[in-house]
Amino acid sequence: MSSAVRLSDPGTRWEVADPQRLATAIRLRAVRMVAAHGFGYLGQALSSAEQVAALFCVARPGADRIVCSPGHYVIAFYAAAAEVGLISEQELDGYGQDGSALEAIGTERSPLFDYVAGSLGQGLSAAAGLALSDRLRGRQVRTFALISDGELEEGQVWEAAMFAAHQRLSALTVLVDANNSQVDGPVDTITTIEPVAAKWASFGWEPVELDGHDVHAVSAALAGARDAGRPVALICRTSTAHGLGCLPPDADGHFIKLPPELAAAAVAELTARLEHARA
Amino acid sequence: MHEPPYQTVLKPYGHALVELARRRDDVLCLSGDLTRQCEVDLFQAAFPERFIHAGMAEANMIGVAAALARCGHVPFVHTFGVFATRRPLDQIINAVAYPRLPVRIVGFMPGISSPGGPSHQAIDDVALMRCVPGMTVVDIADAGQARQVCEAIVDVPGPVYLRLKRGEIPVIFGNDHRLALDRAEVLTSGADAALFASGMMLAPALAAAEVLAGHGIGVSVVSVPVIKPLDEATVRRVSAACKVVLTAENHLITGGLGSAVAEVLAESGTARPLRRIGLRDTFAEGAGTAPYLFGKYGLSTQSVVECAWNALGLPGPAPAAAVADARPGEYSPV
Repeated sequence: MSSAVRLSDPGTRWEVADPQRLATAIRLRAVRMVAAHGFGYLGQALSSAEQVAALFCVARPGADRIVCSPGHYVIAFYAAAAEVGLISEQELDGYGQDGSALEAIGTERSPLFDYVAGSLGQGLSAAAGLALSDRLRGRQVRTFALISDGELEEGQVWEAAMFAAHQRLSALTVLVDANNSQVDGPVDTITTIEPVAAKWASFGWEPVELDGHDVHAVSAALAGARDAGRPVALICRTSTAHGLGCLPPDADGHFIKLPPELAAAAVAELTARLEHARA
Repeated sequence: MHEPPYQTVLKPYGHALVELARRRDDVLCLSGDLTRQCEVDLFQAAFPERFIHAGMAEANMIGVAAALARCGHVPFVHTFGVFATRRPLDQIINAVAYPRLPVRIVGFMPGISSPGGPSHQAIDDVALMRCVPGMTVVDIADAGQARQVCEAIVDVPGPVYLRLKRGEIPVIFGNDHRLALDRAEVLTSGADAALFASGMMLAPALAAAEVLAGHGIGVSVVSVPVIKPLDEATVRRVSAACKVVLTAENHLITGGLGSAVAEVLAESGTARPLRRIGLRDTFAEGAGTAPYLFGKYGLSTQSVVECAWNALGLPGPAPAAAVADARPGEYSPV
């Protein structure tokens, strides 16, 4: 098992000084994690880096719950946790390797989360159950759930959306990473899921559409969702290539190939950006 | 034990869950739009704040229940057996079983006890749940066991699938009967056939044993309320003491009790002819009554008698089983 903690466990502490810098650091670490294998879920980290950085800014350490519905996104959370000191460098190096607790697709063994699973479409139900338990027990904590736009094709997501709205689970806030990417290609070429915001609204949620790569906007929206009186869905418009200019235009957003030369270029690009930000 | 026709009672499980909830404030009740049918209208009336309507959304219901269990509640989830197991199988596996969470999945209307056709007939639920790692699978036979089963399963580590007859529940066992999850119970002694029965097939198994006894054939009827983990020692011991082994289940013969007994016999080298009574690689169909289906698909007392007779190689036609007449409010196996 991992020695790392669950973010909501009492006593877990971390601080984020600069959310924009954290997002870049997530990308750099994700590149290195994927480079060790030559391929992997880099696109998920690139599209969600600002959302994960914002979560680490807004969620109260040792209290608020974090659900990662698509288990492939754990790479971004592991990178963030390593950056703030919750996962050791040595442990992070084991990502996806034989015998490591940091499986590449998040599972029950994964640290950090209140719920994560690789079978897609299930996280919102878990988040609703966690929020319901907290209300039954009078616990004043929030539950944040990251889900992906591809998951919106799963019927269970909408079962859960109806349930959460009916129960008026206002402590529940969802980040929809709308990166228009799934295994077979762009989501909009596979199934028309738009209008996403109108769907959430019609299911009784308060939808907010925003640029998912504007970390300050995402942070502000996460903080503001607390006062909506009903569950809020932040529809974060993103790209699986954002923040990494060296990627070829035809890179597969779900599973990016990262041969050594490309990995080196990516590390150089992101390292330079981090140093530029520091200067 | 009582004799057929058996007296019946209504909602023994529903009353028992309310009693359990009075003592245990961690018990929650979820229902998938089948609240009265699953006897938990009683729970809803007694503890409305601990009753959760999940609606017709079984995947979400299992996911919510799993999260509640993760937070320390003990959720009892209610719907028909078909909807409890087929629809949310992936959710049961990933959200409940892999984390070994104490969700109690209660599936009513087992096998072909529903005349509602294949969509409503849970003929594969035991098989589906038995292959889920860490799942306890319970298929009880009478009202006395239904009154005890909530208490019996509430603290079982990990998930439980509980299969329950809907409607009028027969009283087969006497008041002194105690449901034990860790053992199959030998109810009659005989050295010719070992007959392992679960759930609704216990009643015809007992009736068949009586018919056979009248013809000098000794049958050891073993009640198997827990199919997983199976009481393997009793299966081995009783089987080894008899000439043939029979199983009887209101379910497909693949994956359920018959398969479980076969595995034990084979792995232990207990070489006895085995006959499995149940549905044989077929769906049933919609009909007017359950007794018609039990007769048609070989789940009647007569079917059990003939199965034992043939397995033992006895000459001539098997004796005819008389069916005890049941008045309204009574229950007799066909």
